[in-house]
This record gives sequence, structure tokens and C-alpha cells, in this order.
Amino acid sequence: MAVVSIHQFNECITCHAWNSDRTMIAFCPNNNEVHIHGYSKDKWERVHILRKHDQMVSGIDWGAKSNRIVTVSHDRNSYVWNQEESEWVPTLVILRLNRAALCVQWSPKENKFAVGSGAKTVCICYYEQDNNWWVSKVIKKQHDSSVTSVAWHPNNILLATTSIDGKCRVFSTLIKGVDSRDSGTSVSSDPKFGEEIIQLDLSFCWTFGVKWSPSGNTLAYVGHNSMIYFVGDVGPSPLTQNVAFRDLPLRDVLFLSERILIGVGFSCKPMVFSADETGIWSFLRFLDDRKVASKYRHGPKLPKALGKLYGQSKKSGRGGVHDKCINCILPLKDDEESTIVKRFSTSGLDGKVVVWDLENQKDISLNS
Amino acid sequence: MAGHEEFVEADNAEAIITRIEHKSRKIESLLKQSKPVEALKTALEGSPPKTRDERCKSANWIVVHRAIMAIKDVDGMFSSLDPEYYDILMKYLYRGLATGDRPTCDQCLRIHEKLTERAGLGCILRALADTVNTV
Repeated sequence: MAVVSIHQFNECITCHAWNSDRTMIAFCPNNNEVHIHGYSKDKWERVHILRKHDQMVSGIDWGAKSNRIVTVSHDRNSYVWNQEESEWVPTLVILRLNRAALCVQWSPKENKFAVGSGAKTVCICYYEQDNNWWVSKVIKKQHDSSVTSVAWHPNNILLATTSIDGKCRVFSTLIKGVDSRDSGTSVSSDPKFGEEIIQLDLSFCWTFGVKWSPSGNTLAYVGHNSMIYFVGDVGPSPLTQNVAFRDLPLRDVLFLSERILIGVGFSCKPMVFSADETGIWSFLRFLDDRKVASKYRHGPKLPKALGKLYGQSKKSGRGGVHDKCINCILPLKDDEESTIVKRFSTSGLDGKVVVWDLENQKDISLNS
Repeated sequence: MAGHEEFVEADNAEAIITRIEHKSRKIESLLKQSKPVEALKTALEGSPPKTRDERCKSANWIVVHRAIMAIKDVDGMFSSLDPEYYDILMKYLYRGLATGDRPTCDQCLRIHEKLTERAGLGCILRALADTVNTV
């Protein structure tokens, strides 16, 4: 069984985030609040409600090392929350946006965070010690439409973004004074802040859910046309691969290792994609509780369930765990240093948070 | 791996239309030889979705429409049609459904049902979400 636990927190969850030892979870129950639940004595109970935003909280990220929560909302604001004793104290971050903020992520070193917005901009925020506040530097003029998702490269400098204009871009977010350089690296060749390293025009429709692989060598993002795009060798001549699949589009992805990726979305079940030895990616199977006898290959035989497609108006839990679209997937690492993720959590519009474990899935080999 | 047919880079609309007329003759001869699936493949190949010229798209649609209406055995057609044609066929089916013409819609719906079973909902998504390469 891939599913470890299912918990119905609410009717609908917009996004969620875990603390470092996974005893607490923060999520937005589709309103302007952030609820924090703690796990003690074998059950979840609500311990805090963070009320500062005026509109829906669209992104939450919890820094594992620094124990800070950053939230962004449709009200164009962002707050960084620090835990002082038993209270969470917010600090407003002035993003200077004139449209909603859509997504947020702490950088790997947690000294910066990136916010994608509907104003076609990405704000990179860092802490200025002298003035004791968070400053935002904006990357403007590069995107043609809303920025739906951001992802940091492990080197803490490169940021990948996806946008409603169908393109995936990688930028440098080098900030003097924040990103210290080792003595070995050259100074003149470092790209400036906001410099676009590469623009990938692989999709003809909205793109979401960009993520880097653990080493930072591969990039993956999804399009709303039921396709997933893999990019290796991110640079002037990238190796791109478009994988089309038969089901409803994905919303978010997660790399479990260099060769295994999980995609989640409107099909309500996680999809496993794997790369073979030559680096060609393909869809492996769904992750649900039913045992799958044969691997799905291209041009599959007709599964019985799809034969009822025309008579069926709604896909409601045919053995699946989530009933509605899954829109958030996060890794749960036991060991922060490990590059392989065996457990992950998903949350969706059905209000459930499900924890999955791939330890016992024999056909998914995570050791690459 | 379905999707991403070769885009025909032509100089101008006239060249494309000439090519389509040439294709049309080939299709007529294939239909006379009772090879409707081959005819459909020929019609779908080299579909010029990257042109903005409506005449080219209409000209190609006429050719594809002729081939679609000639199909009698839908299941048999799918057993010999390669998956790479699924996405482009779905786009043309939607164009057919948009005409509102009774026999065309009947045929398109018949094929649509089977195509969805074969190619899944993703194929429909690709046909609808792509507003750049329309047929």
C-alpha cells in the first residue's frame, strides 16, 4: 500500500506546508486564514490560526532550518511568520504588487524567497539586517502573463518559473551581500540579478508546477494540455522531452530521485513517471491502492474503467484516495541530506492531506 | 509518445494550397481503392496548423472531411492508425462537430467516442488547450 495516512482537515485545502520534523502542518482552508495543526497523542489538533491576510492565501512555505513560515495571498501581500514562544508573529513584506501573489518558495538556504504573481512579475525577497526588514527585488518585463509556479535550483541562485503564457524561464537571482561567493568561483561570469538564463517555449498553453531534480540537472514542468516537459542540460542547448499522457492534466510535480517523478493533478491520483538508462522519460503507472498487474505502455489496451467513460459523469473514488483535484505535493524527507525522497504528501480540493510512502513499491526503484 | 507532428514550413499560402490539392487527388485514388484508413493518414499528414491563413486551413479541412466521411469501420480504422495521428485527428473532429451539419456530426461523434477510449481524455485536452496550432 502506497498510502500511509489520510486525514480530512477541511472541506478544501489550497496549499500546505510541513515543519522540519513533520509534527506540524500549516495549510490554507480556502479562505484568508492559515491553520496550523499539531500531531500529538496520535491525533491532529488545531494549535494556531494565523489571521493577517484579507484574501485567500495562495502559497505557504515553511523553512525547515529557520522555522519561519512565509505566506502569500491574493491580497497582494506577503508575511513572514516567526515563532516566538507560543505565538506566531508576522512581519509584513512589501512586495509592491498590483495583482495577486500566486506562489511562494523559500530558497534552499532559506535566506531568500521567491513570489510569483499575477502582475507578471517575480519578487525575490531577502532580509536586510541593517534595517531589520525584508526587501523585495522584482524581476519585471520578462513574463507575458501570470507566474504560476517558482522553483529554486539547489545552488540557491537559479530560479525556474512557469507562466500562463506557456513558457518556462530560468533566471539568476544573485544578490550582492546575500549570496556570498566562494573564493574559487569567478566573479565576472556570474549572471546578474534578473538575467534570463534560458526560456523554454515547449508548450502552447498554460504551464504549472516546475521543479528541479535533486542534483539540479533536470527540470520538469507540466502544461495544461496533459503534457509534461523534461529538460536536461539546462543552458544554451537544452535536451528537451515532451511526454503526452492520456489522462487529465497535472498541476504539480515532485522529483523523488534523478529518475523518478510524481505528478499530481486533475486525475486525482498521483502519476509516476520514470526515466530509463538512456534518460527517456515515460509514464509508469498511477499510484493507488489497487495492485496493477501490467505496466501501462504507449497505446494501452482498453482498461474497463475507461470503457464506461461515456456513461460516467464524475470520477468519484474508484479506489482512489483523493476525490478532487490534487494541487499540492511536498516531499517528506527523513534525512535532510539525502537526495532521494521516499515519502511525500499531497493535498487537494477535497480537503484531505494524504501521506504516501514508496518504500514497498517494487516496480519503482528509487536508487538511481 | 503522441503529439508533435512535423510542421510543414512553406513559403506562402499558394504553395500550401497546391500541396493540399495534390494530396486531395491522392486521397481520391486511395478511396477508390477502398483504403479509407490510408486516405485518412494522408489527409492528416502534413496538416499545416502553423499557418494563420484561413484558406489553407479550410482547404485542408475539406480534404480531411472527405476522408473522415469515407470511414465505415471505426474500430478497424483504429487498429491500423498510429498513435501519432490521434491528437491531430481529435482537432479535426472538433472542427467537424463545430460545423453543425448532421451527417458530419454523426460521423465525428462516432469516431470521437472510440478515439477517446483509445487515446484518453488527455487527447481531448491537447486538442482544446492548443490555441496556437488550430486546424
